[in-house]
Formats: sequence, structure tokens, C-alpha cells
Amino acid sequence: MNGPELSTQDYDVVIAGSGAAGMRAAIAAHDAGARVVVLAKGPPRANHTRMSGGRYNAVSGLNPNDSTDAFYKDTLESGTWINNHALTRILADEAMDRAYDLEAYGLTWDRSEITKYSLSMTGGGSFVRTLGSADEGIGITEVMLHQLHVRGIEIKAFHMLVDAVQDADGRVTGALVFDLARGSWRFLTCRALVLATGGTSQLYETSSGPTVNTGDGIGIAMRTGAEVVDIEFMQFIPISFVYPPSIKGYTLTEPAHYGPRHYDPKADAAHLLNNKGERFVLKHDPVRREGSTRDVLARAIMLEILEGRGTPEGGVLMVPDPKVFESFLRERPIYVKRLLENYGEAQARLEAPIQVMPSALYTLGGVRIDNWCRTSVPGLYAGGEVAGGVHGANRLGGSSMPDIQVFGRRAGMAAAEDARQAPGATKAAFERARERAAALDGYLGRSDGVRPIEVKKQVQKLMWDDVGLVRSGPKLVEAIRIFRQLRSEVLPRLKVTSRTRVVNREWMEALELENMLDVGQAMATAALERKETRGAHYRTDFPEIDPNWAINLLVWREGSEMRVERRDVQTLDTPDKTNARVLAEAR
Amino acid sequence: MAAILPRNSTRQADALRYGNIARLTNRITGVVIVGFVTVHVLVQAMVHSGWFGEAVARSQFLLDLQQVPLVHAILFFSIAFHTLWGMKLFLGDLGYVYHYKTSLFVVGGIASLFALREALRYVGL
Amino acid sequence: MNAMLKTITVKAEVSRFNPETDEKAHFETFEVTGIENMRVLDVIRSIYEHQAPDLAYQFACRIGRCGTCAVKVNGVPVLACQETCKPEMRIEPLTPFPVLRDLVIDRTEVEERYANLALVPHRDHEHEGQPEAVAPDLAHEICRLDSCLACMVCVSACPAVEERAFDGPAFMLKLRQLAIHPADNMDRLSQAKEGGLVECFGCDLCTQLCPADLSPAQAIRDFRNDLLFGR
Repeated sequence: MNGPELSTQDYDVVIAGSGAAGMRAAIAAHDAGARVVVLAKGPPRANHTRMSGGRYNAVSGLNPNDSTDAFYKDTLESGTWINNHALTRILADEAMDRAYDLEAYGLTWDRSEITKYSLSMTGGGSFVRTLGSADEGIGITEVMLHQLHVRGIEIKAFHMLVDAVQDADGRVTGALVFDLARGSWRFLTCRALVLATGGTSQLYETSSGPTVNTGDGIGIAMRTGAEVVDIEFMQFIPISFVYPPSIKGYTLTEPAHYGPRHYDPKADAAHLLNNKGERFVLKHDPVRREGSTRDVLARAIMLEILEGRGTPEGGVLMVPDPKVFESFLRERPIYVKRLLENYGEAQARLEAPIQVMPSALYTLGGVRIDNWCRTSVPGLYAGGEVAGGVHGANRLGGSSMPDIQVFGRRAGMAAAEDARQAPGATKAAFERARERAAALDGYLGRSDGVRPIEVKKQVQKLMWDDVGLVRSGPKLVEAIRIFRQLRSEVLPRLKVTSRTRVVNREWMEALELENMLDVGQAMATAALERKETRGAHYRTDFPEIDPNWAINLLVWREGSEMRVERRDVQTLDTPDKTNARVLAEAR
Repeated sequence: MAAILPRNSTRQADALRYGNIARLTNRITGVVIVGFVTVHVLVQAMVHSGWFGEAVARSQFLLDLQQVPLVHAILFFSIAFHTLWGMKLFLGDLGYVYHYKTSLFVVGGIASLFALREALRYVGL
Repeated sequence: MNAMLKTITVKAEVSRFNPETDEKAHFETFEVTGIENMRVLDVIRSIYEHQAPDLAYQFACRIGRCGTCAVKVNGVPVLACQETCKPEMRIEPLTPFPVLRDLVIDRTEVEERYANLALVPHRDHEHEGQPEAVAPDLAHEICRLDSCLACMVCVSACPAVEERAFDGPAFMLKLRQLAIHPADNMDRLSQAKEGGLVECFGCDLCTQLCPADLSPAQAIRDFRNDLLFGR
């Protein structure tokens, strides 16, 4: 058939995503002897880890009151116990070893004495346990990137994973990749494909993540038939910049870090005030107050703003404690710089109130994985923000950094291990890839239609208004209807204005849009199904938590339909049934 | 004592590029010095070479040229700037930490004083 | 506070170059209206969204941490997301790198240079799986140098990179970060010398323009100090 040129290359393990999860998977797979390639949608440093404050929860032994049991229980409590308990246990147990790995890579954790790391608190945790370094997420990504360089691991920049290509038996044996720099298609055959593509923050109008996080990995996984879990749970960081527009939505982390609670779980966090000067959080969590978990705080702030008690600019006021400024400056100079450049010197010194608003930060759900990051589709793996189950209905601050190290490594190890025996791609897979590439090449040919950016903005507004912090049945139904309509009527009419193949942003946006629509629809579907409020998921029509809903929702695609199913929470005693459904169907 | 905040680096393209000014001034003053030394050596060579040299030595034009205040100003500024800038670079290698703006103003300022002296002499002070 | 800001209209000349069809770059002029403290990146995005749908530009984090949006504005290399807009702007891709299209550069050679330097601690013994003994201030200083974005603004601004056999300030700074790391046993001074350490003019343009408040020139001076005193 006539179709675009499809250059091929063969690898053992293809990893999509150049954040810490992808890089850690690459290190692990390479060290296990696999031939690895890492795909980055743009330059490799453009990822979500880079933007993180780099706080790292782990049990180092420096706090005699803390233990991996306590960390495990804190994570379950924050997640309202619908986490995959096994994954959570692994996180608690392996976080510290991975922290030592990062130090081995060259990251010198902040310390008060030569071997005594400096620890701080996180909103919602019970004990002081969080590590950090002054170079934050920048430092983590830099030391890891150089580990890849020193191992000679291939990194393909401007290479977007478009689809996981399956063979006749449903096994993933290749990656259909679009080389954005040249505008050409590649088919990378492999024995294992690791999704480390990050989250879905860009589905929302006000978000904290990088522009590349359009939920690609989740959309791609769903197209293979893999299940996603907990996809209705989207974490909104309670406080982020309100202005100027260029930084609006960028996380300011938690009020806990702007007051003495940063070191002392019993002390105050920074106070949050509405336009009447009231500490409105006390209504929602009188015990932990502004040191509460992110879900409670974000909802409290959003409600104040929606009910008209916010500032004229659309935020609320955070009143920091200037006494913590010196340590704040020493630990997080980059944040002080941003406060100075965007708000002013008084705010940078924590001497004046700082305007804040919630913003879409972290995808709590994602592709369903087992303890070794295997998805329900053979040959497909997922680790990091793209995967679901570790954090349940709400994530502790500081837990994403260890998550991506722990599960990035596991994904890489499992992928390399399985790749030893897995069969390679057949001609059938190649043909499928070629068909798909030909279909997607069609965008270039169309001369009139809709620009992807228009649809993207529409989706972002829809998600923020209807599938965001405050949800209700009727709005979710409407959102699902719009997603279906966009998918069937608008997606086929997308046009790409420029004929040039080289660095064509509109073409990339068109490819992303398919993923955004699928992920948005999945999120709305699961949110509609869950008739309660729990963790980050808040419904005005079901505002209370309901113990009958202490389960997980699984969503997957069957043709053009989305299916939802309830599944019991995976505890430490439940046998791991992740692969059961697909294997049963394959027979 | 108030802790020093990080810089506000949102107006980088608006500021003067001090490094360029310093480097170009150093380069130009270097050319001036080399130019002066070359002219001086050539003329001295001519002056000390027989009947042609005697004629050159008696040239009023050349004698007057050595008294022009503007030439002195440029020359003294150049020698001062170039020498001081070189010393600043060397001090830096020895471990002395300075700010690039301060050092340009100090070196440029001192060198300008020499030029100023000539300017004052020109106006009769 | 924010409500007091005016709306302004700025003029932007943007470099356009498509290697498939053009021999060299040319400029297209656009006018963009927006809030007065908008950033250069906001101007570029507005042009893409409303006027030039085929414009090629690069950004990701938009808050000054990924370093990938670096461009030249009025001849000065800056991060587009950090630099405030000017009433008149000339926006060009970052020199001296190969241009993929319009404002997007190819960073392949940059990564190769980094890779050649092997910028990981080369240890005598494996990390022991417990806290490594590093003085707190030294740990902080290593982290400080490690917060270099690899944006290449300093390399673009450096006159010695243009004129001489000099890798660039950013590479010298990363070498310094490893040189002061107590667990690294590699001869970073030799690597710096091979990279053209002595070619530095000491002009401090890199220090002035670094978006991460670092001073590659100081890292170079520290190395030159080591060179003089044989450390």
C-alpha cells in the first residue's frame, strides 16, 4: 500500500519519557544488559520532574519516631485506603535505597552535618522525614541525565511516541514514533515498551506541569486495551502563582512549607485568608488546619474563590511566617527567585501576603500496573505519574520523587527481564504501524478544518470547569457528551496549516489531541460513576465520603466505547490479578 | 542583616553588556598601545640612521606631535586601562572575587583619571 | 496589584527559516497586544495562536527551569519565558547552534559535548548505601552548581566561544561541580584545559546573563587558580 516511509530500528526496551521515571528505567534496563532507547517528545530536559521542588519522602533512620510502617500508613491514610497496598508498601520500603542511588549519581542531599541529612515535613504526613536538595528537580534530572550519557544510552530528542503497536496476539512488539524534528515516521521494534510519559496536567486550563504532559501514555495504553485505575482522581496543588499569566498555575507547593510546620508537625503552617480576612481552612480541617492534605486545602480554596470570597485577581491570600525565610532561602533559592520576579521583594522575603490559587498538578490514577510495573497488556509497562495505584485518592507532598525512582527502576528491570524471552515484532505489527502512520499523515493533507489549538483550549476549559476540583453529575454527563462529539466529529476534521514536516507544532498538537480526548473522557466517565466525595474527587451532588465506595474503578476502551468496572482494593493479601483479564481474553 | 535575595533576571536584554564594553575597551586600548609602540620604535629607528635620521630628528611636526594633549589622554588612558584590566584578570586567577560591574567602573574610573589629567592640562589647569 | 497593569502593543520581528525551502533566514514582523509585563514567550505563543500557525518555537516549563526556550532577543541570549517583552523586539534562534526551523535549535552537539565529559562522580569505592560524608556547605555548593539549566545562554553570549577553541562556560561550570565533589577522582582540571579553559577573556558576560544566577566565569577562575597553584 502507499504510505509514508517508515524507518525501522530494533531495540530490546523502548522507553517513552525522559523524566526521572523514564531515565531510571533506562539505567535499570541498560544495567541488566538490554539494548535501550529513551524517547523524549522535545529536548530531554523538558519534563515534569525538572519542574519539581525535588522534595523526597523516605525513611532514613534519622527520625527515631519514624518507620517504613509509618510512611506506609501515612500514604494509605492520605489515599483513603484505596491505594494498591502492595505498591504503597514497595514505595515505603524502597524509597531510601533509591535516595542513596541518587546520591551515588552525584546528588548531595541537604544536610546539617556531614552525614546527617536535613529533614522537613510535608502536608498530611505524621513525621518529619522529607529529604531535599537546593537544586530541586533540576538537580535530580541533571545527575540522572549524565548517568545515561556515561552509559552511552541512546536518547532520541523530538521523538514522540504515537502508539504502542501490537502483534496479532495482542503483545506490544513495537513503538510507532513520530520524529518531530524531521517530520518522519519511525517504527522501533522492541520486546518491551515502557510508558514513562508523565501525567495529564495539560488537560486543564490552569496547570502546573510542562506543555508536553498531555496524557499521551495513558491514551496510548487505553488504545492497546490496557486498563487505567483511579483515573477520576486528579490532584490539584492548593497553592500556585496567580499572576502574571506566564507563571499562572505553577506550584508553590503547600502552606506547610511557609511556616514553622515545615519542621514541626505540631506548629502552624502559613495561614490562608479569604477577602474577609478569615482563615477559611478551619471550617474544613480544624485539627491539621493549613497543614492539611492537598485535597482538603485545594477544595477549600477553590470553594472560597467560586463563592466570591477570593481576591480581585482570582486567588486567596497566604500569609507566610517571615521567621522561616532564612531556611527557605537556603533550601529553595529558586522558589525565592520566582517569588521575587513575579510578585515582589516583600513576598520573596515572606514578609507580605502571597496570592495563591489551586492548579492541576498530578495525575493520581493512570495505567494499572502490578508490583513490577507490568500492565494488563503483555510487552507494555508503565512507571511514574503515568501509572496509577500507588497514592490512591490523594498523594502526599514529597512522594512523587521516590515513586518515580522506585517504579522507574522496577519498570526497567521487569522490561529487561521479560525482553530476554519475548518474541520480536512480526510483519503484522509493521503493517499495523504503517496503516496508522498513513492515517495520521492525513492531517497534513487537509486544507480546511479546525486548528488543533482551538480544540485543545476548548478541552482545557471544559476539564477545568466540569472535571476539575468541583464536579457534579449533570456537568460530567455533559462533558462526556462533548468528548464523544469532539472525537467523532471534530477530530477527523483537524487541519494542520503548514505543509512543512519539520518541527510542525500543529501536527504534534493534533496527535496529542486524540490522547487528550480519550483521557478526558475516561476521567469524566470514572468521575460520573463514583457517586461520592473522596480524596481529590469532590462532587457537589454526593459531598460525603461513602465507605461502600472504598473500591477502585477501572476504565478501559472497547472499540469506541469506554467501560467502567468496580474492583476491590488490592491489599497485601489479595493475589495480583492485573494480567488476568487480557490473558483470559487472549485464549 | 537582610539576607541577599537572588537576582531578578527578567530584564537581561535591557541592561548594558558590561563584559562586552570591558572586552572591547581592552581590545581597543591594546591596539592603541601596540600602535603607539610600533610608531615609536619605527621613528626612533629612523632618527638613529644617518642623514635621513637627522632630518627627521629636526622635524617640528614630529616634536609638536609629542605634546598633543589628546594623544596623551588616549595613550595614558589606554596604558592604564589595559594594564589594570590585565591585573584584575590576574587577581581573579589568584582567587580574588569581585563583581564584574564594580571592577569595570574601578578600572575604567582610574584610567579615566589619567585622561582627565591631560584634559585639564589642555585647558590650562 | 495586578489589576493596575496596562495593556500594551508590542512589535516583534521574528526570524523565519525553513531548511527545506530557504537558503537563509528572513524576518517577519508581528504586532501583539497583551498585558504590559508579559514575557517574550507569551508574545511568541500569541503569534503562533493567532497570526502564524506555522511558527516553530520551543518551550516546555515556561517558568525558567527546563532551559529549552532560550532565544536571542535584541541580540542578547535570554530565556524567552523569563525575559519581559520590549516595545520592539528582534527574536532570533540562539547562536551558534544549527537551526532546525525558525526559533528551534538542534542541541545534539551540546549533548555530545556533555557526554564526552563524563559528568558523574568517578568513585574509588562504590557508594555504601548510607549517607555519604560531605560537609554541609560543600553539599550546598555542589547543588548550587548542579542547578545549571544547560540552557546554553552563556555559551551563546561568550565571545571566546566564537573566536577561539573554547567549549563554553557551561561545560567549565559542570566540570567544576564535579571537581569539588569529594567522591570524584577524575582529573577535571585536565578536561577543563582540553576544553579551552585558558581561552576565557574574564569578561563575565556569562555571569551577567545566566538565568540561574550562576557564574561560569568564577568556576573558570577557580580552575585557573588550581592551574597556577598546582592543586
